[in-house]
Amino acid sequence: MSTRSKIRVRVIAAEGLCKRDVFRSPDPFAVLTVDGAQTQTTETAKKTLSPHWNQSFEFSVTENSILIVQIFDQKKFKKKDQGFLGVVNIKVGDVINLNDTSSEQTVAEELKRSNSHLTVSGKLILTISHQNASARDSRDPSNFAQTNTSAQTPASTIASPSVSSPRAPVDTGNLNNQFPGSAAAAAISSSVRPAPARQFSSFEDQYGRLPPGWERRTDNFGRTYYVDHNSRTTTWKRPTLDQSESQREQERERAREAERTQYRNRSLPETNSQVDQATAMTMAATGATSPGLGELPPGWEQRFTPEGRPYYVDHNSRTTTWVDPRRQQFVKSFGNNGGYNAQRLSAMGPLPSGWEMRLANTSRVYFVDHNTKTTTWDDPRLPSSLDQNVPQYKRDFRRKLVYFRSQPAIRILPGQCHIKVRRDHLMEDAFRDIMRQTPEDLKKRLMIKFEGEEGLDYGGVSREFFQQLSHEMFNPFYCLFQYASSDNYTLQINPNSGVNPEHLTYFKFIGRTVGLGVFHRRFLDAFFVGAMYKMMLHKKIVLQDLESVDAEMYKSLCWMLENDITDVIYETFSIEEDRFGEKVIIDLKPNGRNIEVTNENKREYVELKTEWIISKPVEAQFKAFMDGFNELIPQELVSVFDERELELLIGGLADIDIEDWKKHTDYRGYQESDEVIQWFWKCVSEWEGEQRARLLQFTTGTSRIPVNGFKDLQGSDGPRRFTIEKAGEPDQLPKSHTCFNRVDLPPYKDYESLKKKLTIAVEETIGFGQE
Amino acid sequence: MSLKRINKELSDLGRDPPSSCSAGPVGDDLYHWQASIMGPPDSPYAGGVFFLSIHFPTDYPFKPPKISFQTKIYHPNINSNGNICLDILKDQWSPALTISKVLLSICSLLTDANPDDPLVPEIAHIYKTDRAKYEATAKEWTKKFAI
Repeated sequence: MSTRSKIRVRVIAAEGLCKRDVFRSPDPFAVLTVDGAQTQTTETAKKTLSPHWNQSFEFSVTENSILIVQIFDQKKFKKKDQGFLGVVNIKVGDVINLNDTSSEQTVAEELKRSNSHLTVSGKLILTISHQNASARDSRDPSNFAQTNTSAQTPASTIASPSVSSPRAPVDTGNLNNQFPGSAAAAAISSSVRPAPARQFSSFEDQYGRLPPGWERRTDNFGRTYYVDHNSRTTTWKRPTLDQSESQREQERERAREAERTQYRNRSLPETNSQVDQATAMTMAATGATSPGLGELPPGWEQRFTPEGRPYYVDHNSRTTTWVDPRRQQFVKSFGNNGGYNAQRLSAMGPLPSGWEMRLANTSRVYFVDHNTKTTTWDDPRLPSSLDQNVPQYKRDFRRKLVYFRSQPAIRILPGQCHIKVRRDHLMEDAFRDIMRQTPEDLKKRLMIKFEGEEGLDYGGVSREFFQQLSHEMFNPFYCLFQYASSDNYTLQINPNSGVNPEHLTYFKFIGRTVGLGVFHRRFLDAFFVGAMYKMMLHKKIVLQDLESVDAEMYKSLCWMLENDITDVIYETFSIEEDRFGEKVIIDLKPNGRNIEVTNENKREYVELKTEWIISKPVEAQFKAFMDGFNELIPQELVSVFDERELELLIGGLADIDIEDWKKHTDYRGYQESDEVIQWFWKCVSEWEGEQRARLLQFTTGTSRIPVNGFKDLQGSDGPRRFTIEKAGEPDQLPKSHTCFNRVDLPPYKDYESLKKKLTIAVEETIGFGQE
Repeated sequence: MSLKRINKELSDLGRDPPSSCSAGPVGDDLYHWQASIMGPPDSPYAGGVFFLSIHFPTDYPFKPPKISFQTKIYHPNINSNGNICLDILKDQWSPALTISKVLLSICSLLTDANPDDPLVPEIAHIYKTDRAKYEATAKEWTKKFAI
């Protein structure tokens, strides 16, 4: 049994409590209970949704002790629900390590509901501290259970069952019976702080309303201060509506917040289809699929593995399965969404090694890949041609993802990989920690910590880390990357990055970080030019790829292909380069400087020149980037994707708002009310996220949406809204002009043919910038 | 080879010089030229001679030349640094264009300004609202800086 220690809990404040009454704010106080045995109560704060108590209490605990803090409205404490305003459950051992000689941790927890289902909002802030030395010379630990006069049950026996469910809600009614004294004490001590006479809500005062997002509060000396929820800052100065600087800052902050939200909404098809984690966990804990009822079908037999796990033999087909055939009947009658039936299930033979079939509580079959600890609705045995109703693009990408994730090379290794960063030195700290560790270390479970911040990394922290870090790494300020010429948000390697003598180390670091994100399924908030993804896949660069890298050169080369170059172009198969004032000639092919470019050989020239322009100036940087990337993701694995899929793999699939898209679309030759246009949007809204993203890639060159939505879409010549132009014949496919965010949509005769043509165009076009 | 093409343009200019313009290399560097334009007779710039500097990029004619006025001029599409807002020097450039053609375009820009796409909005505003004032100022500047 673990030893008891003394801890000090300081209840600092709560904020944003739920407002249950229209005209008055609650008088909140907090009740602290440890293991249901020791109880303490704070004073009552008057008429506020953001009470400040700042009171400390001592408790005797073990690391398994559960501290419960409940907030009540003193005015309603005698009513049915006791004016319950929320509860926080904290396992002491999760916050501080009692074996440390001393420690102090601040906890800011969202308030939770009780079983009464009353809505609850807001946060509770408290600190927990302890000092071992004082604990040792203290008196008998049981003395700390001051208020509790009832049974002296050893705390650990109460605490131990709750270890498995530390969030078990407290029965508030019980608490009332048990500790009537504390409520009374709270009521008496409630009049300590004089409440200022307040007729205004906290969002206004005698000068009128505060700017949006601002709130007026009073500190414990009665002084008024202002909280800016937009930037999470406070000030003594009253904000005014015409404060342009603060408004600008607010807008910036809103943009940052929008960016966060947009980033968090990214996903990939495999994660969309994942079965509720909790269900999967319980099913994993209980072992196999739960057995079915009644007799087994004829020809079936139940057997047991040496470990005692039941499996089923189908003597008809001489196959075995973990799945109870009686369950399969169930599947047959309910599982139409899978698109196949029980007969076909057994005809497909065994699952691949490490895979298991299970049943979700909705009776739908799903599959567990124990190799990667992932689940999916897709049967891994199903050849893509069997998914009749699923479009081609999706079968392929999802299947590729399943394959990709199942590869041993990108499985998470046992152990943990710790990365600790300071927010204001993010790039520097991330560089240090990511480059310090070996690639093998980086393949362990990621544990990211922002210094001075609470929060264990169960995904949220590392998501935040990758988002913030991508803003830093790719910031053109560092001269490592620059924006493409075709817009101002897709990125390309800056050919002049050499101004930083360390640049190649940084490119290796960035490559590693991109690989780290892919490996650990975290998205980067960064989108590269199409050529970059193609280079990552060792694919051939074509003229279209140049458009986003160097639009002027692209136009001139196109002109060259389309026109007679006699007396206009006097080139040889060479490139002239200005190196610090000195002109150097480089051959594009052997002896190139002596071969004239003519109308006959100009195609070859354009090809060689394009490749040179895109890859040569950044050759060293790109190599360093790939060295870093391949340390985590082997080249042969990433090669299963095409360049568009690679963009999604790295950046995730954005949540695309059709209404916003529609609202900021221009038409040329069409009216918004035209049938074809109606069909177009009908088709897009019927599509799923991935296909919408592919349409975006097809028409704009990237699946990225500007932070503030489609109204900020950029083209090669500045802002360019998404445009649908009437062009082409009804038997042709739609065409796109990615530099102008334009799609040429022929006037199709009916919805079906529009849908078909658009689907083909979006699915079948590989490579950016279809012209 | 950009040099070959530049040489060809130079010899074309010598053989068939355009009216009211001239251009040629400043010194030994064939990538750096100077040009002069006579103010068009039907414009407030009449009588003035305007000098321009021309820099050819190494990838000329795939990229447009950089041309700027060295003589101060009062014009809605030319700013105080001599930068010219002209589409063919930017996104409408084509390898088929030559210095001779570009200079002629600049001449016609002096006759017909484009106040709807101004580089100097103040001048464009006067041009549109008080044409007489614009012409007087342009004449005055021409007299002061270009004659």
